[in-house]
Amino acid sequence: MSTPWAIRLADEGDLDAIMTIEEACFTSDAWPRESMRDELVGAERYYLVAYLEDQVIAYAGLAKNPIAGAADVQTIAVGHAHRGLGLGRELMQRLIAEAKRSGLAKIFLEVRADNESAQSLYRSLGFEQVRVRPRYYQPDDVDAIEMLLPIEVTNREPLVLGIESSCDETGIGIVRGNTLLANVISSSMDAHARFGGVVPEVAARAHLEALKPTLHEALAKAQVSLDEVDAIAVTNGPGLAGALMVGVGAAKALAVALGKPIYAVNHLVGHVGVDILERGKLETPTIALLVSGGHTSLLLVRDLLNDVELLGETIDDAAGEAFDKVARILGLKYPGGPEIDRAAEGGDPKAIRFPRGLTLPKDMERNRYNFSFSGLKTAVARWVEVAEGQAQAGRATAEAGVGEYSKADVAASFREAVADVLVSKAVNACLDLGVKRLLLGGGVVANKRLRELAAERCAKHGIELRIPALSLCTDNGAMIAALGAQLIMDGRAPSSLDFGADSTLPVTTVQTL
Amino acid sequence: MSVLLAIDTSAGTSVALLRDGLVLAEVNLENHMKHAENIGGAIATVLRDAGLAGIEVHRVIVGRGPAPFTGLRVGLAAAVMFAEGAGAKLAGVVSLDALALSAISAGVVPSASKPLLVTTDARRGEVYWALYSGLDRHGVPVRMQGPAVAKPGALAQLLSLEGLEPHTTVQAVTASALAEVALAQDAAGTLSGDVTALYLRAPDAVEPKSPGQFGKKVSS
Repeated sequence: MSTPWAIRLADEGDLDAIMTIEEACFTSDAWPRESMRDELVGAERYYLVAYLEDQVIAYAGLAKNPIAGAADVQTIAVGHAHRGLGLGRELMQRLIAEAKRSGLAKIFLEVRADNESAQSLYRSLGFEQVRVRPRYYQPDDVDAIEMLLPIEVTNREPLVLGIESSCDETGIGIVRGNTLLANVISSSMDAHARFGGVVPEVAARAHLEALKPTLHEALAKAQVSLDEVDAIAVTNGPGLAGALMVGVGAAKALAVALGKPIYAVNHLVGHVGVDILERGKLETPTIALLVSGGHTSLLLVRDLLNDVELLGETIDDAAGEAFDKVARILGLKYPGGPEIDRAAEGGDPKAIRFPRGLTLPKDMERNRYNFSFSGLKTAVARWVEVAEGQAQAGRATAEAGVGEYSKADVAASFREAVADVLVSKAVNACLDLGVKRLLLGGGVVANKRLRELAAERCAKHGIELRIPALSLCTDNGAMIAALGAQLIMDGRAPSSLDFGADSTLPVTTVQTL
Repeated sequence: MSVLLAIDTSAGTSVALLRDGLVLAEVNLENHMKHAENIGGAIATVLRDAGLAGIEVHRVIVGRGPAPFTGLRVGLAAAVMFAEGAGAKLAGVVSLDALALSAISAGVVPSASKPLLVTTDARRGEVYWALYSGLDRHGVPVRMQGPAVAKPGALAQLLSLEGLEPHTTVQAVTASALAEVALAQDAAGTLSGDVTALYLRAPDAVEPKSPGQFGKKVSS
């Protein structure tokens, strides 16, 4: 089930909200505000807040003691209105995961002897009672029960098989920890060509047919057999619902057949995490610009598994869709990206000043990081229509050359407008937020001009630019497997078997439990 | 000893586990949506109820429909991958055959002159249908016509033209009936490895008439 809330790292800005909950939950023994502030900013502290529609509804904190090889759960509180939904459990699992990640072998906590529901939660997570501290909680005069969770430290890197089917690529990838073993992609692109764009039903039918051959090829490339696989990861959103469902059904059945856990992961976060397969880790914080036929999203990634924020996205067409539509206007084939790249060779990118969507001052106030390509596509259509009209009139009056236009100029100018607006907004985000890294992802990264312009502007502003290999930029199963492996190595619990496909899954939901 | 897993998502989500022809466990969820949500839990449940592991399954049988697109594919995708994971053989059965078998088992006695008409909801005001004359000596439902898709009016017209007043059925597809058909087909030597989906309709997509037309539409 997808949880309605999201969880991120807490910072000092959350102090007011945290204190409101603290005082409501711990009526007689709430921490003073200053103590809480010290905790939030303290060294070796790991505090999380859960939030719903920007409102903090719960928090939890861990103190790590690397010298002792242990961690203490400092506090955990869930607002009254949000209890009984599994939020406390999820926060505890995150704290446990952090202790594991930090290589700590024990986690301690204290709980009031009269709080039986909390004790039963901790026991269900594996905590055991160590001793009783008499009359520990004052002024209520209540005993504290000290509990301990011993952590198994395992260093084995998990072998994860990832399945991706959110759009028109059936991807199956296999990774061992951070290492890529296979990345096989079967595309139904040709089947969509005559329609000029991805047809969801055509894509979904193709996924079903591609599953088995793609799986076999991936296993052969990775030189592993299915019984060696430790876990299955699958994209459950965002994407085309009918297409996603094929992958979800396939992944669940495979996991059940093998008796292995399944991890339902976010497609967009997968695009971000794929850099791990090339560099062994993801440098954070980073801005990520994901551009494809289905998405145009600008993300701020502070932590791959804990803190991904959507800064903006397209309010109409995806950038890749704009390429397809303009290609059609120019009488070029599908997919439009490479066709327009080819047509733009030798064209003048400054010949026609096509509009840059949502870049006017009034738009920048509300849509600073959002994109719009629908107006640009219409502008190209109008321009071509007028030019063709003039050309026809010119031919009718035998005035050779009148109104004839250069397709190369139109293609180059259109491409320039798209690349300009994408790169400008991404670089703005880097500068505004003081993040000196930009990661590109998605199929449109194949566009030469986009890569050039990103390289130019990043160099100018001292921003480090990362562009993974194209086979990892387009939709693929390796990125899904990689994200699944990160979750496992982080100690996350697997997803239940009940999750569905969520075509609008938000980036804040890295894993659907 | 042969363990068989049957899956059908042509209507709801139905999963059954059989050993040597006997049903060990079955899950029938009538919800005509939520196939992707339900399929994993349904398979896990029948395995758990029977106390078996996935790799103990020898054969996977899946309903090929006909059915509207999305849900049907979930069962087919699950069957394909379960068979891969379990190292099991995979075979497909027309889901309407399972309905025919259920009706005949429940007492309907069709013949070539008074056959059994099986219909299911194809949405968009249409039905999927097939006509059965009875069972062959192995117990396999004998399909005279279909599977096909038609408007109910057109189907009625076709039947009256042929002078047929068939039996009808209101059974729901169950995976155990699907498995029974498969076992009968296996005995008859007609069980097929074909697991392609019977959509019986082309995807809803319109080809653009000519390149460039798109632009003109925008500016008109």
